[in-house]
Amino acid sequence: MHTADADSASDQTQAPVPAPTAASAAAPAPVADGVRHSLNPRVVLLERITGLIATVFLSGILAIGTGILWLAADSAWLPRLAAVAWPVLTLLLAWHSYAWPAISYRHESYRVDAPGIEIRRGVFWRREITVPRSRVQHIDVSQGPIERRFGLGSLSIYTAGTDYAMVALRGLTHERALLIRDHLLPKEAQDAV
Amino acid sequence: MPSDRRLHPLSFLFAIAGQLRQFLIPGLVVVFTAGAAGGEWEPWLMVAAIPIALGAFVRSLSYRYRLDDTDLVVRTGFVFRKERHIPYARIQNIEAIQSVVHRLFRVIEVRIETGAGKEDDATMRVVPVAAYEEIRECVQSRRPAVAAPAAGVEQPEPSGSVVLRLPARELILSGFVDNRSAVLIAAGFGVVWELGLFDRVAGLLVGEAVSGRSVLRQTLRAVFRGAAPSLQTAGLTVAGLAILFAAATAISMIWAYVRLHGFVLRRAGDDLRAEYGLFTRVATTIPLRRIQTLTIFEGPLHRLFGRAAVKVETAGADAQEQGATGREPLAPIIRRAELDRLIEQVLPGVRAAGLDWQPAAPGAFWRELRKSAVVSLALTLVLAQAFGWWALGPLALLLALSAVRARRFTGSLGWAAGSDAIWFRRGWLWRRLTVARFSKMQIVALHRSPFDRRTGMSRLRVDTAGAARESDRIDIPYLPAAVARDLHERLSIEASGTRFQW
Repeated sequence: MHTADADSASDQTQAPVPAPTAASAAAPAPVADGVRHSLNPRVVLLERITGLIATVFLSGILAIGTGILWLAADSAWLPRLAAVAWPVLTLLLAWHSYAWPAISYRHESYRVDAPGIEIRRGVFWRREITVPRSRVQHIDVSQGPIERRFGLGSLSIYTAGTDYAMVALRGLTHERALLIRDHLLPKEAQDAV
Repeated sequence: MPSDRRLHPLSFLFAIAGQLRQFLIPGLVVVFTAGAAGGEWEPWLMVAAIPIALGAFVRSLSYRYRLDDTDLVVRTGFVFRKERHIPYARIQNIEAIQSVVHRLFRVIEVRIETGAGKEDDATMRVVPVAAYEEIRECVQSRRPAVAAPAAGVEQPEPSGSVVLRLPARELILSGFVDNRSAVLIAAGFGVVWELGLFDRVAGLLVGEAVSGRSVLRQTLRAVFRGAAPSLQTAGLTVAGLAILFAAATAISMIWAYVRLHGFVLRRAGDDLRAEYGLFTRVATTIPLRRIQTLTIFEGPLHRLFGRAAVKVETAGADAQEQGATGREPLAPIIRRAELDRLIEQVLPGVRAAGLDWQPAAPGAFWRELRKSAVVSLALTLVLAQAFGWWALGPLALLLALSAVRARRFTGSLGWAAGSDAIWFRRGWLWRRLTVARFSKMQIVALHRSPFDRRTGMSRLRVDTAGAARESDRIDIPYLPAAVARDLHERLSIEASGTRFQW
């Protein structure tokens, strides 16, 4: 949409992320640049692969269901309907898992600055979520098996809230997720009374 | 080192009773259904209650607590020992419940709640009353001082200043006004009646022809057939419903009086303390800084009598649990003139006066109307299947009603950002006003649905801790997009500029 160009431009801004050396960790956090970033483009492929796995799985279940209908159903039209519906549904799922990651990628971005992090996402139902650093309770950085292959990681930010008790951000490079975590976690060892 | 303390010597009785009570209803069901079915082994299922009661017995014998300098330490178990440290600073609420039986033995059940929410962290079932006083004093005095500027200066007397006291008249009024239970009871009676359980009784009293089962059904059927129902039947239906409703309201009033008898809300230092109950006395302590949001509720009857009800949400206590422990609103009923004073006491420094209230976007009315129009149309289509084109009559009525409702509802929407809190009001007949301090906001989120984007609006959600009840959230719909953006930005800055304390 209108932000697509700007976002794809800002893809490039993510490339020169400094490696998480001891020096960069000590310096004022370079992640808090106040610039809106897109996710790492590799996330599109990652999501497509996860989507493909889900499609194969669901399609398998549907195939089994169709098979059972062929064997067991009394009516004549129900198995035929299922036989037509199965490839159609599978194709739809496959198309969705191929197309959707790219679409949702265009609509997801984040911005880290001194007070906290802002996340924008949603293709139809759009959301802009602001998490102030002062409200962060704890943060998880996780990496699944496929994510590890891609060098990507996920950030889960926990607050004391209700609806937004956990805010997740997928599709960052693992290093960057760690940097953001270090930036967002409260620095001063305060008594969290 | 402070010494270990035991519970009251008789506490095992209460522990067992407390466990068995949970078995009572299912147990009775089992016994009765088994009796009806002629089963013989089902009642033996109740044997399962014995190990549970035994467990409660052992736990209450092994229960020790200790009031350390900074923590409350609870130890339970003989074989598998468990020691739990609860820092005084983490304690959200101390609740004490004293039923009639408790009072007979001069003991009290104490529940200590922390932010952990799900389990009540330390339920002392039961301790002597003097021990409860000691625990409360200890928790209050050894808590680290709060950095509230004004609260530290004044040092009120230990019992505290009275914020709200409800005489019997107000309690009964609250039962009358807040008769949700009455509606439930009436509905229950109605179901029982329709199912014909009162047949014999009523049949004996007024004769089979008018009393019999399903007077209501007959009436409705007559109406739908287009024939006028017999005057007698209609009159009986109306009278029956009126009597049921009146009886239910009376029950609700009596129940409110019994439950809330002697309601006193005090402020002692940084704590709010409420005490109430005729048979079961409840004393609850809420530290002021635990309060996340405050909601003022006004139904139509509230407004008729110039009253309102005030609820607060504290962190950690989820709504279901509040229902289970029967926690009452902060002020079940209060004169509207006293609201400002109450807010001043509960949220010191937050002022309701002089707020700059902002309306919803001008297009909000149309969106709200469109929403109910779609629902009305769908309903009409369903009705048209059943009754033919006569259903168009109700449609016109529904649309007119929708228009009035949409106008009133969108007119009632409003928000205001004060110097240190965000206010949000909504509702036409049932009005709610919710306020959250900036320091209690967790996440500010801007939502834009496809409809929002087409009409240039946004929805702003302010997330707080413990906002379990849908109705008490700050979730402002139909904001003009630019206004929403500014407010989002401002609230984000305010939130990050303050420190959140549990």
